[in-house]
Amino acid sequence: MINQLLWGYYYAVLMLILFMSIYGIAVRPNLLKKIIMLSILSDTANILAVMIGLHVGRTIPPVYPGITFTVETLPNSTSLKEFAKQAVDPLPQVLVVTAIVIGLAVLVFLSFTAILLYRKYGTLDTRDIINRIRGETQ
Amino acid sequence: MVKLKDVCIGLSLAVVAAIVSYLIISYNIASVAPEANRPLANMFLENVFNSEKWWLWAGSPEAVTSILWDYRGIDTVYETAVFFLAIIASIALVRTLKLTPETSGRGFGLTVIAKTVTNIVFASIPIVAYSIAVHGHLTPGGGFQGGSAFAVAPLLAISVFSLRVIVMRGWSKDRLLALRTTGLLLIGLIAIIVVALSALKGIIAYVMQNQPKPWAPAGLSAIVDFINPTLISGTLFWLNISEFLAVGAGLSLVFVLLVSPTKMLDVEVEEK
Repeated sequence: MINQLLWGYYYAVLMLILFMSIYGIAVRPNLLKKIIMLSILSDTANILAVMIGLHVGRTIPPVYPGITFTVETLPNSTSLKEFAKQAVDPLPQVLVVTAIVIGLAVLVFLSFTAILLYRKYGTLDTRDIINRIRGETQ
Repeated sequence: MVKLKDVCIGLSLAVVAAIVSYLIISYNIASVAPEANRPLANMFLENVFNSEKWWLWAGSPEAVTSILWDYRGIDTVYETAVFFLAIIASIALVRTLKLTPETSGRGFGLTVIAKTVTNIVFASIPIVAYSIAVHGHLTPGGGFQGGSAFAVAPLLAISVFSLRVIVMRGWSKDRLLALRTTGLLLIGLIAIIVVALSALKGIIAYVMQNQPKPWAPAGLSAIVDFINPTLISGTLFWLNISEFLAVGAGLSLVFVLLVSPTKMLDVEVEEK
């Protein structure tokens, strides 16, 4: 029961951060705040994915222990079954690894866009930028 | 002064978060840390290094790298394509920016103490990053992680020695771009090398195939005789090194461009 409550608390906090970051992206007019909130959103999603792969009593990473470049004996099915009982779920980690690097690259791209917009319009407020673009076209 | 609007937004966010997390747990959408692994996870963990089931194994004790480059290899290739597009779009935004020692600011860096400490640390970062990438199929880590760790080195050097010194040392845009393109080309080459080699022999193989399958008996061997029998897990070793090159050089490139002086960007915007 306490375990259930604890995990409910975890999910509630993560969901709160998730919705706060969506609020920040949608409502706040400052582009920099939008970018910060987007990075918080992607990090929260990554933590959520890693948490799904977590299990009670499983402590070792999904790497078969004791293997180096010079391998003498390959493990058999029984020892691998023992290993599978202790290791955490590898699949969410795989999905998160690439998401982190791509998130960083996208963050850099958005930063470049924000820098260029600030150089051109002198502000990061989206309402001001839209007003200036409209003023230029008229 | 707390506005009523802010209180309403905060309360509604909290209520929605509570409802969603209650639904997640009570309807078992996401698990509450179960005792047993999922069947899919067990399949990966039991077969990833099981040479008795050679048609399912990836030849590597590292389940994460095996799934990344073998079981879900095509997926990772497309994710690398997304990474490629994000970097190339960033470079295209500042394409008129020329990075030369004359145009990259007049900074001389921090004090001698900071520079001496950074000299020692700076040498170790690429070594650690390369080690993470090379041991990617044996220990936790791989190309993505090693490349990200490597990208710390230029950031540290720029903040301590200034951008001008880094550009003078030869971290030019073209050189980093060439390194990154080399990494991406190597990934493309390794993806089709098994297909090409087996086509010469007249047997079928898959793109990104690592280990042989009963219906497609092609693939690079997991253990090669290099002085001693060495475990390189077929394509995983080479893919990790290629991805290390692509990610490390790509992230270094965008970091170097990101910290270039704003005066240069001013000129560029006026030119546009």
